[in-house]
Amino acid sequence: MTAIDTKIKPRSARKNTRPVWDEEPSLLGKLVKALFLICYGAAIVLPIWAVVATSFASEQSLTAAGGNLLLIPTDVSLAAYQEIFDGGALTKSLILTIGLTVGGTALSMVLTIGAAYGLSRPGSLLHRPLLMLVLFTFLFAPGLYPSFLVVQKLGLFDNYLSIILPMALSAFNLIVLRSFFMNSVPTELLDAARMDGAGEFRTLFKIVLPMSKAILAVIALFYAVGYWNIYFSAVLYIPGLDTQPIQVVLQRMLMSTQGLPGAAANVSQYQSAAPDSALKMAVVVCTIIPIVIMYPFIQKHFTKAVITGAIKG
Amino acid sequence: MAALQTSAPPASPGQERRVIVRRKRTVAQRFRSDWPLLLMTLPAMAQLAVFFYWPSAWNIIAFMDYSPHRAFWDNPLVGFAWFERLFANPYFTPALLNTLKYSFANLLFLFPLSIILALVMHSVVSTKVRSVFQSIVYLPYFFSWVLVVTVFVQTLGSDGLVSNWLLGLGGDRLSFTSNPDTFLFLAWLQWAWKDAGWGMIIFLAALASINPSLYEAAAVDGASRWRRMWHITLPGIRPVIVLLLILHIGGILTVGFEQYQLQRDAIGYQTTEVLDTFIYYRSVIGTEGPSFGTAAGLFKGVIGLILVLVANNVAHRLGEQGIYQKS
Repeated sequence: MTAIDTKIKPRSARKNTRPVWDEEPSLLGKLVKALFLICYGAAIVLPIWAVVATSFASEQSLTAAGGNLLLIPTDVSLAAYQEIFDGGALTKSLILTIGLTVGGTALSMVLTIGAAYGLSRPGSLLHRPLLMLVLFTFLFAPGLYPSFLVVQKLGLFDNYLSIILPMALSAFNLIVLRSFFMNSVPTELLDAARMDGAGEFRTLFKIVLPMSKAILAVIALFYAVGYWNIYFSAVLYIPGLDTQPIQVVLQRMLMSTQGLPGAAANVSQYQSAAPDSALKMAVVVCTIIPIVIMYPFIQKHFTKAVITGAIKG
Repeated sequence: MAALQTSAPPASPGQERRVIVRRKRTVAQRFRSDWPLLLMTLPAMAQLAVFFYWPSAWNIIAFMDYSPHRAFWDNPLVGFAWFERLFANPYFTPALLNTLKYSFANLLFLFPLSIILALVMHSVVSTKVRSVFQSIVYLPYFFSWVLVVTVFVQTLGSDGLVSNWLLGLGGDRLSFTSNPDTFLFLAWLQWAWKDAGWGMIIFLAALASINPSLYEAAAVDGASRWRRMWHITLPGIRPVIVLLLILHIGGILTVGFEQYQLQRDAIGYQTTEVLDTFIYYRSVIGTEGPSFGTAAGLFKGVIGLILVLVANNVAHRLGEQGIYQKS
């Protein structure tokens, strides 16, 4: 958090003081600004807080509150979390989602690092045509049906690999990492390594990667968030499998609360002793937690990555 | 690029020397020194080939009467018949109009909101307030749409938090998570909740790159706060605004699938049908078949390609950098 301050704000050097040339805003202006920020912040924080509070609620307190969500918990019950981690369908779904996230991120990083380094040397063999092949993906999208067809042709339909492989490479991340390699790793260092007889692989692993830890972590986290939030590819590619990613499970639970068709048949496997709302909110909390854990790190470094990517892309 | 085309005649003596130096290295020699780089690039290229270029090539079936039960070359070519059928489909025009509606609504609403948030944040002097607020507002950007919709139903739905308060106060339940007439407003709230903070961060970063001495000089010359904003701040973030606009225009027919699919049953398909859901429900799991869905996707892809090139060209003409530079 502090790191982003120093990076983002030109005023950080002044440390909480208004520069002499800047006139003091009017009281009204200050009030309006404060009110705006407080309302905006509250609109984001309160629902999240209510979700967390409800996930710990017992049946009685929920009935007393008369609804699906409560702001002030009167007692704490862990029934919902016991339900999630008791080894049933929800546990399987969480384990699957963690597996997809870890496996997918690892594969994505291998692809991204390799291509980013391989394409970081203008003038190397085939450099320009290969780079064009990557950049073209920004301009055109192959379309939903052809992608679906290819997954079918490869025999990956109803196979968990169909979640990971089609989204394994983000051209955006590749370009961001490539421009980092090109601009932030000193060429002298690379030349020195080559003089000492280090091959490209050795240079990559011993010099370039250790210098790029922060940006690698940010890119990995972006990939991880992408895999963790997988919903549409699961709907599209693995509709027939029993164990679904956690977002799909959450969607089915949501549909059943709203009394909508389409989920009724599937949702019975998630019903439990814990209050319905509490269970659902506990699933929501489980999907939020990894993101909240990763968040401070993303926050610390990612703005820079976004901006370099946007400018150099 | 020109320097690599060794067959091109040299324009000047200086250039000639450079070309000759490059000519010394044959392809075989370059391969001998560069093969590790190619090997590293290979897995990513394989992924692109299989999951980007292969499906792109499959778009050809938009011009065929494609059936998965025939050998590929036995599928007859039918020209633009599927596109005619697409445009004649009674659900297509509403889906296209909805897509444009949500796309423009998003542009007109989210852009100014992000800029306003960034300007307000930029004017806050206390670093503590700024860092706390920043941390809060762009957290939801990393949430999935499933989660966002769930939170909205739980808070603003007919059994949700706000409905309960209203009931307690003697009012009525809210119905607007299931009301097609107010869906646009609901979508606005969802964008504001999920994405505005992200936009704010991008604009804040752009604001940070403006040289503070410009403000000081303007203030010394007697420019008021508003004039400084108009003459320094807005021109300073113009390149970023243009960049994001181009990207948005290229994606004008891509509004995302999940937000609309997730609320389809509650709101009704008439209101939430966008091109992506149209392709999914009519073709992938519907009865219209592969060629129809492919034609719809290709229509979308080609329009997006044209729009992004045109927008970028216009940006160049206006003297902006755009997404790529003329080389």
